[in-house]
Amino acid sequence: MAKFITIGERIHCISPAIREAMNTMNPDPILKRAEEQIKAGATYLDVNIGPAESNGIELMKWAVKLIQEKFDNIPLALDTSNKAAIEAGISVYNRSKGKPIVNSADAGDRIDNIDLAAANDAIIIALCSKEGVPSDNDERMAYCQEMLERGMMGGMDTADMWFDPLFLVIKGMQDKQSDVLEAIRMFTEMGLNSTGGLSNCSNGMPKHIRPIMDSAMVAMAMQCGLTSAIVNPCDLRLMETIKSCDIIKNETLYADSYLEI
Amino acid sequence: MPFKKPVQKFSAAINAVELGVGENKIVLGGQNVMPFYTFDNEIANPPKVGAEISDMGFEDQVQGITGFYADCASVADMAKKAAALDSVDFICLRLESADPNGKNAPVADCVHTAKAVSDAIDKPLVIIGCKNDEKDAVLFEKVAEALQGKNALYLSAKEENYKSIAAAVGLAYRQKVGAESSVDINLAKQLNVLISQIGVDGKSIVMNLGSAAAGYGFEYVVSTMDRVGAAALSQNDTMLQMPVITPVSTESWSVKESIATQEDMPHWGSQEQRGVSMEIVTAAADLASGSSAVILRHPASIETISKLIKELI
Repeated sequence: MAKFITIGERIHCISPAIREAMNTMNPDPILKRAEEQIKAGATYLDVNIGPAESNGIELMKWAVKLIQEKFDNIPLALDTSNKAAIEAGISVYNRSKGKPIVNSADAGDRIDNIDLAAANDAIIIALCSKEGVPSDNDERMAYCQEMLERGMMGGMDTADMWFDPLFLVIKGMQDKQSDVLEAIRMFTEMGLNSTGGLSNCSNGMPKHIRPIMDSAMVAMAMQCGLTSAIVNPCDLRLMETIKSCDIIKNETLYADSYLEI
Repeated sequence: MPFKKPVQKFSAAINAVELGVGENKIVLGGQNVMPFYTFDNEIANPPKVGAEISDMGFEDQVQGITGFYADCASVADMAKKAAALDSVDFICLRLESADPNGKNAPVADCVHTAKAVSDAIDKPLVIIGCKNDEKDAVLFEKVAEALQGKNALYLSAKEENYKSIAAAVGLAYRQKVGAESSVDINLAKQLNVLISQIGVDGKSIVMNLGSAAAGYGFEYVVSTMDRVGAAALSQNDTMLQMPVITPVSTESWSVKESIATQEDMPHWGSQEQRGVSMEIVTAAADLASGSSAVILRHPASIETISKLIKELI
């Protein structure tokens, strides 16, 4: 067991400022968001360049070097559907602070991203779905098994496969939330690492509610053994909850100033 | 199938902290394995042994201690004599005289003594205060000023006085700060956080987690050291990767096994023998629990513990 790993989600081309920066290769907005997230305590930073079909290779290489050179080789999750761009990013990636994460594979069209991660000694986020939302945990665990086998066939260390149960929006799918937690519990019992887009659970809720709901979800998921999550590290309540849960789980030693470190 | 020896080597390591200057300077810490686990990885800096001297002299001590220093005219002479022993890695000067509830010597006198001791030896120096939080804060500031460039270690900054000590010793005069937490593991981490927040580099901090003579609640010392070591190495907790120094002699020479005379306790045998045994047993247990340095008083204990370390590493 180890301290919970947070993957900062705020370098995402869906944000207008980041999209603009990526289009013009303007470092400042990207570095600003990287810095904010690192200061807030993110372990990894996700770099989502979108599909980037025309210039993905160039863009990912640029972004990886830009962020790592500025911030002491902070480890990154490379997030795009463009495989060549991921490989290009890994080719310039500095591993001194941690392996690169490939974000992501699923049990459907994107299963070969597991091979990509295996070939490049990277961590893979393995999303337990094929087409849309799995209908129940039997289906989830079947996908988990399928991807696990794929990774092992490729020679991956299973610790480098981080399984994503697929966090579901609470508004409208309230009855599915226990399944998600149960799936995390099953990953944990199999000795597997896990992660996921946690904030999906509070999608569509009022802005002031989201940190509360995300914090409750992360606490419950951590008790089920969740080992990491893709989150907004600038959400103070969420980060305080994660730090507190790490203390309760004895993953880090308590000190009165634990929230400040 | 051939036997493959499992190796427990951590990716995190204890900070390597330099004390002193010149060719006799020493390094505390640096290891990334459990105490004495040289079969898992090399331990580049074996634990160090310090000789304790006091600015009040050692008049009421056992013969082996008073006798050793009998021909010394001054505290500086005592330091020189102890430093001449091969088994001594550093000198630890206790400024006991400063205690307001005791002799209450002026700070200037203590500074003078510290300077004289520092000038007399070519080995690193550790300064222990008088255990009065307010006096120590003033004392350490003035001594650190006088010993600029000597890279001494000051024991200790506590919860009550860390601010002024860390600012003076760590920031203004660039020496090493001891953080004392009296067998309270959460406080140990907290003090390191607080001292770091003042701006002192984590690599300028040495922890005094507290000590007890063997048999006097020593299991708390062991469990504290174990948990700190686990946090530092297996959890990569940068706020607990400071090396540990343990003042053994002040504890071991104040328990009844060491101070009851043979006249009072005839069936216990030689007082000196008992005292030395307590000191050795306590120090060996501290080292086995992860201390990177121990402070001892009796020349026989110093010799024995130094030999123990050399035989094991």
